[in-house]
Amino acid sequence: MLDRLIDARLVILGLLLASAAAQAAPQSAPQKDPKPPAATSRPIDVDGWGRPVSGPPTARSFPPALRHDISGTWEPAGGPLDGVQFNGSKAYPEDGKNDREPPYTAPGRKLWQGNKPSIGSRGVVPAEANDPVIACDPQGFPREDLFQLRSTQIVQTPVSVVILYEFDQIWRVIWIDGRELPKDPEPRWFGYSVGKWVDDYTLVVQTTGIDERSWIDNVGRPHSGDIRVEERFHRVDHDHLQWTVTITDPKMYTQPWVALDKLPFYLQPPSMDVREMICSPSDSAEYDKLIGNPASEKAR
Amino acid sequence: MQNFKALLERSVAPNVVLALLMAFPVAKAQTAPSQSGAQKEHKSAPAPKHDISGTWDPGDNGIGQLGARAVPEDGDPAHRLPYTPAGLEALKLNKPSNSVRAVLPAETNDPVVTCDPQGMPREDLYEMRTTQIIQMPEKIFVLYTFGKVWRVIWTDGRELPKDPEPRWFGYSVGKWVDDYTLVVQTAGLDERSWIDRAGRPHSDALHVEERFHRVDRDHLELIVTLDDPKMYTKSWTALDKLRFDLQPPNFDVREMLCSPSELAEYNKLIGTPASEKSKK
Repeated sequence: MLDRLIDARLVILGLLLASAAAQAAPQSAPQKDPKPPAATSRPIDVDGWGRPVSGPPTARSFPPALRHDISGTWEPAGGPLDGVQFNGSKAYPEDGKNDREPPYTAPGRKLWQGNKPSIGSRGVVPAEANDPVIACDPQGFPREDLFQLRSTQIVQTPVSVVILYEFDQIWRVIWIDGRELPKDPEPRWFGYSVGKWVDDYTLVVQTTGIDERSWIDNVGRPHSGDIRVEERFHRVDHDHLQWTVTITDPKMYTQPWVALDKLPFYLQPPSMDVREMICSPSDSAEYDKLIGNPASEKAR
Repeated sequence: MQNFKALLERSVAPNVVLALLMAFPVAKAQTAPSQSGAQKEHKSAPAPKHDISGTWDPGDNGIGQLGARAVPEDGDPAHRLPYTPAGLEALKLNKPSNSVRAVLPAETNDPVVTCDPQGMPREDLYEMRTTQIIQMPEKIFVLYTFGKVWRVIWTDGRELPKDPEPRWFGYSVGKWVDDYTLVVQTAGLDERSWIDRAGRPHSDALHVEERFHRVDRDHLELIVTLDDPKMYTKSWTALDKLRFDLQPPNFDVREMLCSPSELAEYNKLIGTPASEKSKK
């Protein structure tokens, strides 16, 4: 496997050099001694099939957005880890430096304090964390948007928009056939979603009926069964999408708060194979045995 | 049937399954009343070419509680698989909570019971329920009910990767062999998964072939054939024309997700006490 990665890197290096040469002198012959890529260049990555992943397009302008179309394979524009959000919802981090607290109610604050994440400014040792996702409970919604958001494929049918996430290889359907959200439904980890185009380039999605056992994000922001999540998918132009997530939950928060604020994505070619990333309890057990538990003991 | 009855008496697991089936009734109960019941009487229309897209319901024929439907682990000699010695050794290590080799719930090491990913081919052979297939020009997505997982089949002519890093769901490429049949090859599978609910093992050499055949506008058939020379002396058919009925496109698939915290609750309240009781 290492050999294959090295080969891929050589290919990518070659591509970068060729591209740098072409940009420097598009009309003339390639440079004889091309410089190696700058130290600050984007990390090199390969897709699930072992093929190089193209970085964000560097053109100065882009073709216009397609109307009522957010389909495609979308990659976080700020880098492959831009949507991972280890320290909680990107707009409300809990990282010990830029901590920003959502507007908790008293019950919300109490539940939050009972949730013990494995990371961030309130992080505890692995053996003491009670994050359900560590044990491979479903992330549910909106956490699927607010933790480990990576290469995301969106497909559209006449009646639905389907989101295919990388993390846990989960699909989620948004109905755009005009149906209303169900009243008092049986809760689901991923709730029930309906969407509507509010203009030519913006899809607004409402989700309710969410199982209250999930955390909102990786640092344990809580929610009740009455949470309502609004997403806005805005097609900026042909190659760019912005994703916004707003939380409304009067039991837990005194007002709505924007957990993800226009996270930018760029369009990948449709041939990109998304890497597999699935939580596995047997993997976790192995990790705990070899690393997690000994480290926790040591830390005590 | 006698084996199954004895199983019910000594194991809670099938009751859990029955409870699950009752909590998640098969798709027919959920669709618009006039639609799916009437489909059988309606004359269908010709199959569209190169098109297996749609929301497909197999009823309860895809559950596979006793293992791969074509060869259930029910004690019938005709369903004994052609194991190599290595295959037999690997089989003994797998302790399923159903079929004739079932152990008590507290003793099973079925990775899916503790919420490991099913992977391929088990995702086709256990709890195969309403399945959505979406076709794009270069690939086909299969969206499963169980585990809410998606899988991609590349139809852009690429070859399977040589010696790839194993994945739970492997790597799949598909090709139309005629106007109505898509043949899919999958390899690069993580050997930790079980082939089916009965704990049939596989190695990293496993190669899965699926044949999706669009019978007519409203029906699809799936055949799954397995080839693993390390574990089996010859290839065998795991699923033989599982039939699916087309649902309307606005059909919302029920959520079915494994949750370790729910499992812990079940074990605490039912599974472990029942196992203790059975041991006495």
